[in-house]
Amino acid sequence: MEIVESAVHDEARQHAEEAALAALVDQYASTLYRVAFSVLRNQQDAEDAVQEAFLRVLRHRETLGEIRDHRVWLVRIVWNIVLDRKRRAKTRPETDDVADLARVLPASGLSAEQRAAALQHHANVLQCVEKLPAREREVMLLSAFEELSSVEIAAVLGVTESSVRSRLFRARNVLAELLQHKRSTP
Amino acid sequence: MNPFTEDRFGSNAGAHAAEETLRLIATLPAPEGLEDRVKAGLRSAPQRGMVVAWPFSTTQRLMHSAGSRAAAAAAIVLAIAGGGWGVYSHIQVAPVPSALIEPQLPNGAGHFSTAGAMHVPQTVQGPVVAAPTVEKQTGKAVQVPQRHGSKTKNHQSGTRSTTPMK
Repeated sequence: MEIVESAVHDEARQHAEEAALAALVDQYASTLYRVAFSVLRNQQDAEDAVQEAFLRVLRHRETLGEIRDHRVWLVRIVWNIVLDRKRRAKTRPETDDVADLARVLPASGLSAEQRAAALQHHANVLQCVEKLPAREREVMLLSAFEELSSVEIAAVLGVTESSVRSRLFRARNVLAELLQHKRSTP
Repeated sequence: MNPFTEDRFGSNAGAHAAEETLRLIATLPAPEGLEDRVKAGLRSAPQRGMVVAWPFSTTQRLMHSAGSRAAAAAAIVLAIAGGGWGVYSHIQVAPVPSALIEPQLPNGAGHFSTAGAMHVPQTVQGPVVAAPTVEKQTGKAVQVPQRHGSKTKNHQSGTRSTTPMK
């Protein structure tokens, strides 16, 4: 009798965990995808990274109740995944990134020439971002997300908030120099 | 609200243009049906620990508590320590003498002993051939018959048998 009661209780607990996980997917899958895409710049890779992140959550679903901020926690998981994938897929040519970007960037209200010029500008910017040191680049990428505060970026990266600010300052300076150099050289 | 957008019109105009690009990428919408695909992937994922886990979850919940884990760990330690003590207590260690006793040599210290000497069995004494004796009177030689391997009284007494001379 006790076994039956515990089995029923366990089944109910499992259903509750699955429902909580489904709610997390509905709420944060889009955010995680954008974070993943900002690093990988490939739709399929970004979607795979989101899938892997939620699979990791599924494996540790019993700890869901102990997490205070699910959003930051999930962003941190997917961030580590995409950094790892980026390191492994370093050999991919940059032209793939630009082609993927051209597919997904909004083109409404732009002529073909304007669109080509905008695409070239974005490609130049992304090339300069890739040249930044890793720490500065990571802060730069995460700071582009409006929904992430400096405290949350610090939590994702595992550093202090002042460190985030100083890295962002350095990143901006280096990026400005790189873009200036790129404009001056034909 | 992102705090970094406040100084976007500062000294680094190029950097701000770059941030605009990054912000544009960061706001790109996720593809349609992403959530459904993720949920489908989660449903098809293998469940963890279903093969080796105990089917009744009461034990699992029991083991989740810290006290139960500590008790189980203590029981394991006691079992191992008890087994070790059982083995230790059954081993009879030979007492170590307080002083080293030097063994006595049979022939005294520093001399040779008979230990290891090869003993040769005593062999049977071989036959003794007696020289024939000639009697002067009869001219006949009288030969005393001897049996091989047999001993006469003279042999036993250590004398050689000879015919008396007249």
